[in-house]
Amino acid sequence: MAKAVGIDLGTTNSVVAVMEGGKPTVIINSDGGRLTPSVVAYSKTGERLVGQLAKRQAAINPEQTIYSAKRFVGRRYSEVQSEIKNVPYRVTAGPNDAVRFEIAGKSVSPEEISSSVLRKLADDASKYIGEKVTDAVITVPAYFNDAQRQATKDAGKIAGLKVLRIINEPTAAALAYGLDKKKNETIMVFDLGGGTFDVSILEVGDGVFEVKATSGDTHLGGDDFDKRIVDWLAQGFLQDQGIELRKDRQALQRLTEAAEKAKIELSSVVETAISLPFITADAAGPKHLEMKLARAKFDQLTADLVERCVGPVKQALKDSKLSESDIDEVVLVGGSTRTPAVQALVRRLIAGKEPNQSVNPDEVVAIGAAIQAGVLAGEVKGVVLLDVTPLSLGIETLGGVMTKLVERNTTIPVRRSEVFSTAEDNQTAVDVHILQGERELARDNRTLGHFRLEGIRPAQRSLPQIEVTFDIDANGIVTVTARDKDTGKTQEITISGSTQLSRDEIDRMVKDAQGHADEDRRRHDEIEARNAANSVAYQAERQIRELGVSVPLNEKARAEQLIADIQQLTKSESSDIARLRQLTSDLQQLVYGLASASQGSTAAGGPQSTTPPPGGDDVIDAEFRPSK
Amino acid sequence: MANSSEDKAEMEPGNERPADVESPENERLKAELSREHDLYLRTLADFDNYRRRIERERAGSAHAGKRDLVLPLLEVLDDFDRALEHLGDVPEWMSSGFVAIYRRLNSILQAQGIMPYESLGDRFDPVRHEAVGLMEGQDIEPGTVVAELSRGYTWGDEVLRPARVRVAQ
Repeated sequence: MAKAVGIDLGTTNSVVAVMEGGKPTVIINSDGGRLTPSVVAYSKTGERLVGQLAKRQAAINPEQTIYSAKRFVGRRYSEVQSEIKNVPYRVTAGPNDAVRFEIAGKSVSPEEISSSVLRKLADDASKYIGEKVTDAVITVPAYFNDAQRQATKDAGKIAGLKVLRIINEPTAAALAYGLDKKKNETIMVFDLGGGTFDVSILEVGDGVFEVKATSGDTHLGGDDFDKRIVDWLAQGFLQDQGIELRKDRQALQRLTEAAEKAKIELSSVVETAISLPFITADAAGPKHLEMKLARAKFDQLTADLVERCVGPVKQALKDSKLSESDIDEVVLVGGSTRTPAVQALVRRLIAGKEPNQSVNPDEVVAIGAAIQAGVLAGEVKGVVLLDVTPLSLGIETLGGVMTKLVERNTTIPVRRSEVFSTAEDNQTAVDVHILQGERELARDNRTLGHFRLEGIRPAQRSLPQIEVTFDIDANGIVTVTARDKDTGKTQEITISGSTQLSRDEIDRMVKDAQGHADEDRRRHDEIEARNAANSVAYQAERQIRELGVSVPLNEKARAEQLIADIQQLTKSESSDIARLRQLTSDLQQLVYGLASASQGSTAAGGPQSTTPPPGGDDVIDAEFRPSK
Repeated sequence: MANSSEDKAEMEPGNERPADVESPENERLKAELSREHDLYLRTLADFDNYRRRIERERAGSAHAGKRDLVLPLLEVLDDFDRALEHLGDVPEWMSSGFVAIYRRLNSILQAQGIMPYESLGDRFDPVRHEAVGLMEGQDIEPGTVVAELSRGYTWGDEVLRPARVRVAQ
């Protein structure tokens, strides 16, 4: 079965995502990362490296390491003069004024470079999902012209991919938020990436997006923010120590990394420390860089960069003949939109609209592309949307406790069984009380139904095995079956509408359970202690009866006293749990003592074992309370 | 779900067809069934792959958790490495104590299988090395690592962090 992926083929980094079980998932590449550098290198030995490996050798092989190929794809040589100045590799004119890179004596097109990146992404995706990836949706900036779109499509073809569609990056971002389901809305997509800034205004209606306007700055991004911090650090160091760190390549690299880290930290804290010990040395010895950067200072250092976003936003609004009040939704894309000052700017420009930013801004475009790929491959439309049970389901067991069989948020359809038993000797019927809710005690939960299973063969308590099965079908219809494993007798009930509670009602029940968690836990413990005490008392009585005269009188008297104390305690309303546990444990010890003493005094094959009933391969989880 | 109006049409009298001719309704249902079956298989396959990957990832997730802690620690080791170059300037009791702390930190990581490796003199390999720059002069074969700025570490079979190096031109 062929799989279709969504690919965000970026200027600096690329991301690939796939629909899996109806949900988009970002794929982890072979280097363990979610972002793959859009870098391709040809080593001196003629080997081709892509992604992280290509990036690692860029410093020693700058002329054969191609990055930012996206700035050249589908463009004419005469159009890209300003871009050529920014890159260390050789760019020449090919046939029909097409752009070519001169690499190791060969002429390579930007499409070929992009195709190497696409091929790697598709290969990593195949490895990750364990299925061959053949089809893809690839995103491009909204301002890409036909030639640039065609070239991107060609890159996909060269990579051996069937390009299902080329879609706009802002459209993909809007898709990731499900905005295609909105009726007649105007959406602004604000995309501040590593090196480019794009703002787009879209209109959506009937699932179709129309780009009303785009604007941006092709050389503005997170890297510029990092550089401001680097310059501030280096300037400060120069003033204090008289040493220029930016001239030392290694020091510069450490500064750049520390700057990026500081920037990321300042998105969540208001001050960060930058510490670079042994950054350099002079005749007086080694020097350390220790500085603190407050968010306020960072905002001041980058204020003009943030302000550079204002013009394009205004321009896009003007071009689409709209005002900020016409914008219904704002979507943030690109890692730099995590910067608080950038978010504040967006809020200021589009007053009163809370931007959509719950999806990782580095991945939102690839996720939207994957959703589109899923739709085109027929997966999303046909996918069975699996529901979950909003509340836990279970039955009432001894002591009025709810024993859950299906926990809340379990994906349905589902089937769960457990084996229960009787609570009293010779109990011939059990009441199955079906409950829904999160509280510990049956009486605090909602009753879905009752039924009674009769005709259980008289036996000691805990011996009969009653299997209770909950089956919830895809429509939320619950069928509860109880089966006596001994006689095969079965009783069942079907409850529909168990999942038809209103959202509010479900929330209330869940909150209610959280609010009562401590109290419920205490009551649950209390009931468990009583159940355990009664069970041990029952065992002790039985054993004394069976052993008869072989029980020493003093032991018998002590056991009887303990049993009486337990019975009295468990009957009283406010029982002393600690004391009950103590009595239970004392009596348990005594029972063990009796068993071993009697084994010593009587011959083999003597009295019947007093150990709890054999469970076979089934474990008995709880006992029904006695049927009345 | 059955379409009630079509159901009625089926039941109208005189609507019988010869058995060997497929009714459009049959065709439609067959197509729907094969579509549903395909979907079912896809979901099964998705789940199977998902389960396998979760198993794989479960093994890796403890690893990934450690990695988040270990990578910044390696930077502290780098600081130690840089500091060691200047140890001649401090009293002996201090330098030996300093070296002892460094060794302890190293041995804690080595106990976890995190091992430093030498890069000097090796051929540049982007899997194991990250190039910071070139170095001129010298009578050394181009492409050879001539300076190690920070050490590389392996963790089991994988390169945990490549060494930062300068390479002969």
